[in-house]
Amino acid sequence: MQGIKKFSSKFFVCAALLSALVTHGYAQSTATLIVSGEVATPLELKAQDLASMKQISHKVKDRDGKEHEFKGVALIEILEKAGVTTGAKLRGENLAKYALITAADGYEVLYALAEIDPEFTDQMILLATEKDGQPLPSGEGPFRIIKPGDKKPARWIREVRSIKIAFAKN
Amino acid sequence: MSGRRKIVAGRKLGDSRSIVTILATTFCAFAGMVSVTRQAPVPYALKYPANFGSRFTIPTDNPTTLEGVYLGRMLFYEKRLSANGKLSCESCHEQNRAFTDGRPVSMGVDGSFTPRSSMSLANLLWVRNFFWDGRSQSLEAQAAFPLTDPHEMGQTLAESVIKLQKTAPYPVIFQSAFGETGITEQNILKALAQFERTLISADAPYDRYLAGRYQPTEAELRGMQLFENGPDPKRGIRGANCGHCHGGPKMFKELFHNNGLDRAFADPGREKVTAQSMDKGRFRVPTLRNILLTAPYMHDGRFKTIEAVLDHYSEHIQQSETLSSFLQDVSNEEGGKNLSLAPQEKKDIIAFFGMLTDSTFVTNPAFSNPHSISKNR
Repeated sequence: MQGIKKFSSKFFVCAALLSALVTHGYAQSTATLIVSGEVATPLELKAQDLASMKQISHKVKDRDGKEHEFKGVALIEILEKAGVTTGAKLRGENLAKYALITAADGYEVLYALAEIDPEFTDQMILLATEKDGQPLPSGEGPFRIIKPGDKKPARWIREVRSIKIAFAKN
Repeated sequence: MSGRRKIVAGRKLGDSRSIVTILATTFCAFAGMVSVTRQAPVPYALKYPANFGSRFTIPTDNPTTLEGVYLGRMLFYEKRLSANGKLSCESCHEQNRAFTDGRPVSMGVDGSFTPRSSMSLANLLWVRNFFWDGRSQSLEAQAAFPLTDPHEMGQTLAESVIKLQKTAPYPVIFQSAFGETGITEQNILKALAQFERTLISADAPYDRYLAGRYQPTEAELRGMQLFENGPDPKRGIRGANCGHCHGGPKMFKELFHNNGLDRAFADPGREKVTAQSMDKGRFRVPTLRNILLTAPYMHDGRFKTIEAVLDHYSEHIQQSETLSSFLQDVSNEEGGKNLSLAPQEKKDIIAFFGMLTDSTFVTNPAFSNPHSISKNR
């Protein structure tokens, strides 16, 4: 009797684990940020990966006209982690490279690499994960771009899903 | 002597020249005959207004050609491509309805219904993610779904190849479009994609207005303002903010949103493709071009009329975790929860939608059924 109980409880644990795995495969709740294209190392980053990187913050006025403190990782750090041609390598043909950033809903915005690199600009573009000390709410997060220098926040793209580095070709 | 010799030599030269001429003529005539049967397909010039932009990619292995487009048109209207020989692409995509079928969902060869409503086929050249859930990235890949789905046309591409090979016209038309490869599964998809790329709608009154060749009515102008403006009651600006997701000269943007139809979703939409829970209940933001011809509306065809669609956006948005942020706390009343459009404002927006009906597109003979011409004879 005891043996049967042990067996059945083991069985249930296994079944529970298995179903958890299946649901995980179907609906991934932890959002992922993909960095691809002209990179040395393609990346798949989760919120906890970004939390372990150097954090910076910007106080900026958002669409609602109010000032908010956004905290996260400098976009340049992520590009460096992926081995994008930044810093001393951002010259010659590499100046014709851009980052195409895509949101969950398909919205896209573009920054030239030189707009992101601190050797070219003092405007540190932020990949924010927090607003006023809280994780970004759904519909805005978990990842959002903040560029303090832009007068119009149309490139402060919400729900960032991927960053693709590419050459402008014509 | 030397003179005669010269004459003889001249004659000889003349003879050999005429032989060369005859040989050359024969060769040219032969080569000409060969080139008639093996002529390279002629490039098809896709014409569209400059404000549509050129952000599209045509696969290098499937250039658009006159022969390929013609074949694609034949296949689009070809019932042999369905398991019961009764359905073609046209069954769910009728030209006079801007290539929709007027039904909430469509019936397939097995008598069952498709889970989603037939989509309008206009300006697909610019679309990058096909279907309501955006699961397909090219017109070539897209075409295989409705052809082979057991609840749609229900026939394998291999079976379609066999059926077409048994006909008189198709082997010749396939050869003119694709050369030696002839009738293959891939060439069926390629030809359909080529035809679909030509389905360009760019002659609605709205297009002519943007080109400075149409003067809208008062109601159309009021509707256009409401369509473009986001509501801002504090500044006295009334709006419906439609253009935020549906705007631009082509009247579509490459977007996926949960537009507040339900609190819980029977159809997970884009979540099934991306496996991200943030995408539950998100569907493609469809084109509004020819919108008055494409009822019923939404991915499941739940709204019979355009009036019901406006009522939905104005008063019946349902909250859920993934509801589009563009549909939350947007109101024409200060502190309001609903968009709250006035009855006349809804009528004005519908008047503006009339400017999006492209009669040239829905009557263009180049997009019509090529088979019915021979049937009528």
